[in-house]
Amino acid sequence: MLNSQQRDALMELGNIGAAHAATTLSTMLMSNIEMEVPDISVVDISKIHEHVGDELSALVIFQITGEVSGGGYVLLHIPKNSVVRLTNAILGMTELDRDLTEMDESALLEIGNIMVSAFLDATATLLSIIMLPSPPSMIIDMPHAAFQTILAMQEFSEIDQVVIFRTELHSDQHKIYSNLFLLPNKPMLDEILSMLENLMK
Amino acid sequence: MPSPDEPVVMVGIGEFHAGRTPMSSIGLGSCIGLVIFDRDRDLGALAHIMLPDSQRRSERPAKYADTAVEYLIKELNRQGCKTSSLAAKMSGGASMFQSFSGNLNIGERNIEAVRFQLKRMSIPLVAEDVGGSIGRTIVYYPAENGKISIKTANGTIKII
Repeated sequence: MLNSQQRDALMELGNIGAAHAATTLSTMLMSNIEMEVPDISVVDISKIHEHVGDELSALVIFQITGEVSGGGYVLLHIPKNSVVRLTNAILGMTELDRDLTEMDESALLEIGNIMVSAFLDATATLLSIIMLPSPPSMIIDMPHAAFQTILAMQEFSEIDQVVIFRTELHSDQHKIYSNLFLLPNKPMLDEILSMLENLMK
Repeated sequence: MPSPDEPVVMVGIGEFHAGRTPMSSIGLGSCIGLVIFDRDRDLGALAHIMLPDSQRRSERPAKYADTAVEYLIKELNRQGCKTSSLAAKMSGGASMFQSFSGNLNIGERNIEAVRFQLKRMSIPLVAEDVGGSIGRTIVYYPAENGKISIKTANGTIKII
């Protein structure tokens, strides 16, 4: 589904996007954010559970709109304990052993908006197009259940393999761990790949 | 309950497994975990159904409600089960998102499609835990007469 050149090009694109997202998170937290090397996997739907689990997490999910055909999603995934530490760090609170509240949700929507806008801005600028995030949808639940539902809901339904792009961002100071996923459907992936190919000519 | 060391077969999206060992599907959202089991034996099957309608596709029969039910019955027949002693349980079919364009009621359509197929094949649906807006991880224990434990993200466990 992807040759090594396409993989490298996508990796570079994602790297730039994720770096911008990391910068915004770093600014909000006033701390260093470490970014892992992005991981691009072509995953059979039956193996998605090997990439995303069922641990309680917050997911802020955006549909990609703008000048790109097809459809795709960007997902910010933060496990429950990291959400608590993230909200605490931003709002200056200390209680760690607590449930997630509306306060966490509104903080996450805000943070998600800023990070994902930065991610899409940077990738779209590189491609010389406009990509915008839809208003976000938030769920506090199992990541696998969210992925699975997105795949079932959308134009993904006729295919058995998906491209998952994942970058891990974490703050050692605050012990916050997060993942940024890009989930393009086939038409969007094809268009992004052909734009990248033109860029490299 | 089986010991923690007992292997559990993972059944991914669109897959199925038939046998006697515990089997599990994690993070069901709009998907359905359908168990068809033999009421007289410690044997049954789990399918992780993703969509209601195969539109005549023949690969991955467990991915679609309209093909999965018949496929599981055949598989259990092949392993020596009588159709008349089979019963079904299901879980999943949630509606995870309120916004977004697209096929929002896919969970509901999956539930309806499975019910329809079970009725068509005369398999009694003896228990279910479906709908709502929550993800579910299920484990099916063939040795315990069709028992399914259902875990949600906040840690509550329900047995059907």
